[in-house]
Amino acid sequence: MSRPLRRVVLVDDHDLFRAGVRSELGSTVEIVGEAASVLEAVPLIKELDPDVVLLDVHLPDGGGQSVIVQVAPERPGVKFLALSVSDAAEDVIGVIRAGARGYVTKTISAEDLTEAVHRTADGDAVFSPRLAGFVLDAFRSGEATADPELDQLTSREREVLQLIARGYRYKEIAARLHLSARTVESHVSAVLRKLQLSNRNELTRWAAQRRLI
Amino acid sequence: MLAGVCSGIGDRLGVDPTLVRLAFAFLAFAAGAGIVAYLGAWALLPAPGEPSVSRRRRIMGTVLLIWAAILALHGVGLAGSLVWPLALVAAGLVVAAGSVSFGLSAGAARAVAAVLVFCGVLVFIGENTRGTATTLLAPGAVAVALILVLGPWAFRLARERDAERAERIRTQEREELAARVHDSVLQTLALIQREPNDPRRVATLARRQERELRAWLYPSTEPAQDGTLAGAVDAAAAEIEEMHGVRVEVVRTGDAPLDDRTRALVLAAREAMANASKHSGVAEVSVFLDADTKHVALFVRDRGSGFDPDSVADDRRGIAESIRGRMERVGGTARIVSSPGEGTEVELELPPEAGE
Repeated sequence: MSRPLRRVVLVDDHDLFRAGVRSELGSTVEIVGEAASVLEAVPLIKELDPDVVLLDVHLPDGGGQSVIVQVAPERPGVKFLALSVSDAAEDVIGVIRAGARGYVTKTISAEDLTEAVHRTADGDAVFSPRLAGFVLDAFRSGEATADPELDQLTSREREVLQLIARGYRYKEIAARLHLSARTVESHVSAVLRKLQLSNRNELTRWAAQRRLI
Repeated sequence: MLAGVCSGIGDRLGVDPTLVRLAFAFLAFAAGAGIVAYLGAWALLPAPGEPSVSRRRRIMGTVLLIWAAILALHGVGLAGSLVWPLALVAAGLVVAAGSVSFGLSAGAARAVAAVLVFCGVLVFIGENTRGTATTLLAPGAVAVALILVLGPWAFRLARERDAERAERIRTQEREELAARVHDSVLQTLALIQREPNDPRRVATLARRQERELRAWLYPSTEPAQDGTLAGAVDAAAAEIEEMHGVRVEVVRTGDAPLDDRTRALVLAAREAMANASKHSGVAEVSVFLDADTKHVALFVRDRGSGFDPDSVADDRRGIAESIRGRMERVGGTARIVSSPGEGTEVELELPPEAGE
């Protein structure tokens, strides 16, 4: 499959991890810059204006969130994909609410990571099974909310998330639900939007713990 | 205006020096207290540019200030029987608080202060022996005097003890962390270095270590305890990882209590994980548990070789008995979706219990 070359900046404080990602990523992804801290990352991303930033959630001088917050207003075209070893829901939800287009764990295979970079660059949301689990949890209860449009998942969205949590890829989900791949992607993007904008209690609590609001 | 004392005080206290000058002028009428106080303040305040004043000037200044206070109290019409004891107590407090500035050791300062305050109290009692009100007041005065002198000292002791305790807790935490890192992480790294040529073993060791560390670092995301369904699923996944050297990724939402039905589900799930590990030929198995108190669903999926469920070989009979049979006996269902080359998914479901 011929795909456009994606320019990527890699932000992670572990040299070994950066080296690993650099050597693994396919030929359709070019690492144009690397940074090990928030301080290095912000000017570098503004200068290079890459398609995608692979962003570690934990950096020595702050979270990946602070990179997003400082870069996004000036470079709205740059997409962020969070990459972390953390399993803590507040880390995951926090970075998504700051504006990341998705979240994958560092144990992801090289092939899947390449795929995730392309999907992020295309403006789609990237949900790992674990993120799907967190979101299902967060939107679980049918509590009455101020804005049902934003605060609740449709049954179709729930179905898609459950399949992601079960380890299905988008294409497999499309085949199983008799939808087009594009429709599956739009459902996932809708969930991402809800995740970023909803004021549901669970989400607000996570966001507050991370001092995002 | 004479020696810049008023503006110096004003500076220190952050008030307009004019106000300070007015206060001194007013005090000057109270038996000349203002003049004595001015001299005392001059002795105590360092000249601009000098860091501090000499010990002799400090003592002199303090004495002058106390003298000014005595004069002022007399000036406003208080009797000597009240003023002198007050002056002695004040001197005692000043010594206790300022031991360092006077070049005294803390112990000596406390002794001098106690003597001064005690004398003050004695004078107070001696001067006021007539009249019941004052005799009643005397013991109270002694108590107040003791609290004033010993209070700050006791307070400091308590604070030191708190600080010591906090330090001890910090040390304990550090030791606990060191012990954990030593027992687990360092041991694992040592093992990995000894067997670098067995990738499967290395992966298993690393994975086990990761699981342990995670459970410790993120206890809030691992609420699963023994005794709940989620905990049992986690434990089963860990066992399978350990036995077969594959990675079992468990994602779960919700939880349910562990009873006969959910226990059967865990055993069936464990069997499905074991099958996937043994037969699929891939290194990762995905498990998703979706549970609440009424309905439980669990999915075990691999992207491996798959098989044709209709032509299950004899040695795969395990599926029929240990997965399907188990689920059906507790009123649940098991569905196996697989085709060659497409991987396998086992879906286990427990509907709400009849009668609920």
